Amino acid sequence: MSVAAALCDVTHQFDEHPALSNISLTLKEGETVAFLGPSGAGKSTLLALLDGRLRNWRGTAEVLETPYSATARPPRDARSEVGFIFQEFALVDRLSVYQNVMNGRLGRMRTWQSLWSSFGERDHLVVSGVLEDTGLTDLAARRADKLSGGQRQRTAIARCLAQEPKLILADEPVSNLDPANAEKILGLITGAARKRGITVVFSSHQPELSQRFADRVIGLRDGKLLFDCPSAQVSAADISELYHGTAPGAELRVVS
Amino acid sequence: MPRAVTWLVLAVAILWSLGSADMGLEKLPGAMARLSEFLGRMLPPDMSIWPEVLQGMAETLRIAILGTFFAVLFSVVLGILAAETLVPPAIWRPVRSLLAIVRAIPLILVAMLMVGAVGLGPLPGILAVTFHATGMLAKFYAEAIDTVSPEPVKALESAGATRLQQLRWGIWPQMAPVVLRDTVFRFELNLRESLILGIVGAGGIGLYVQTYVRSFQYDKAATVTLAIIVLVLLSETVNTALQKRFS
Repeated sequence: MSVAAALCDVTHQFDEHPALSNISLTLKEGETVAFLGPSGAGKSTLLALLDGRLRNWRGTAEVLETPYSATARPPRDARSEVGFIFQEFALVDRLSVYQNVMNGRLGRMRTWQSLWSSFGERDHLVVSGVLEDTGLTDLAARRADKLSGGQRQRTAIARCLAQEPKLILADEPVSNLDPANAEKILGLITGAARKRGITVVFSSHQPELSQRFADRVIGLRDGKLLFDCPSAQVSAADISELYHGTAPGAELRVVS
Repeated sequence: MPRAVTWLVLAVAILWSLGSADMGLEKLPGAMARLSEFLGRMLPPDMSIWPEVLQGMAETLRIAILGTFFAVLFSVVLGILAAETLVPPAIWRPVRSLLAIVRAIPLILVAMLMVGAVGLGPLPGILAVTFHATGMLAKFYAEAIDTVSPEPVKALESAGATRLQQLRWGIWPQMAPVVLRDTVFRFELNLRESLILGIVGAGGIGLYVQTYVRSFQYDKAATVTLAIIVLVLLSETVNTALQKRFS
């Protein structure tokens, strides 16, 4: 399997406080990975780095064969290859579900054509397809500010899929959901990604869900990588250490 | 205590205004007869001047339309320069102060200065409306820019959208209703304020108000007044209808 992303010795400071300390990891193409850890562990920062939005970090990062720079955003093509599902969904309220999803395709269009809403046939086809997959077809014409929370989230997922990314990053996609809906949403994201062979990284603070939906779980605490192993091999001791800091001095266990 | 002070200040202000100004209050009882005679001479309105009135109204409308148009052009530029979220304080602070000064000068005063500068006719009216309206509209546009939520724009950038695409599909949809509402509102104000510009020679229907009242042709002044009332009510109705559509 080829490599989707590779980070080597990445360090980032936020207000003189280390947000990421010497993180090294490799994401394989097509796998589903969970960043697990308490809030403030650096999960969101790491996702922002993979999305090319983080500035002022040290180390090396290469995502989908594009080397990232610590001072500039990645080029347009690279940005459209990486899809991001924001925690607060980040929809444009006054636009329809359809246009919000179409917005995911902007990176793949000619700027001038897109300004006059003249989208290509293929763009319309892709948007219709992902609306179908996310169960939003009937809501296509509804304005985003008239949607329920769940519908907004599905629109955000649809926008990300419309981008036809090779890598999907989801920041705490289920942190505000009840267990039943959390399963539905994670199932939707990972299912759609598997169908298309897309690599997925999602962050979460819920161990069971992470283990169930991810092939691999990476434990983060205080900006440090605590463990990195296949979901089935995450032990109760790992989880306990991740959240309570017990078993100090235990060695970093990396199995891959 | 503060409430008592408020009432005291209010009372003093009213007494001061009544006592100090030579208002000629004693004329009020006798004025009633003259007022009714005055009103009587307005009736019936002289409709023979209707063609001139229409022409004057059309000129006022043109002054308001062009004044608003140019004010929008200037306000787009100055609005961006006055937006806290787009430019550094070293720029938006002085620009906002400048706009506040522009707003503080009454339209009629600007119009008199413009007449002095470019002569009589609609041109000084258009210039005056442009100048005066920009002071308010640019501030409104800046505020509309500042209310745009950055998260959706960030999401578009992350998806590979160019700056222009972010502007078109992330920023503009968020500010469009506010900008359209403010612009229509300012157009209505421009129209109302342009009605009297002719009094100082800056074009439009105001010239006829001036002429007919000064020459005691009250029946003709009545026709002009009626036309003005109709125009203002009409613009108010259109404005209200448009405002409801921008949400």
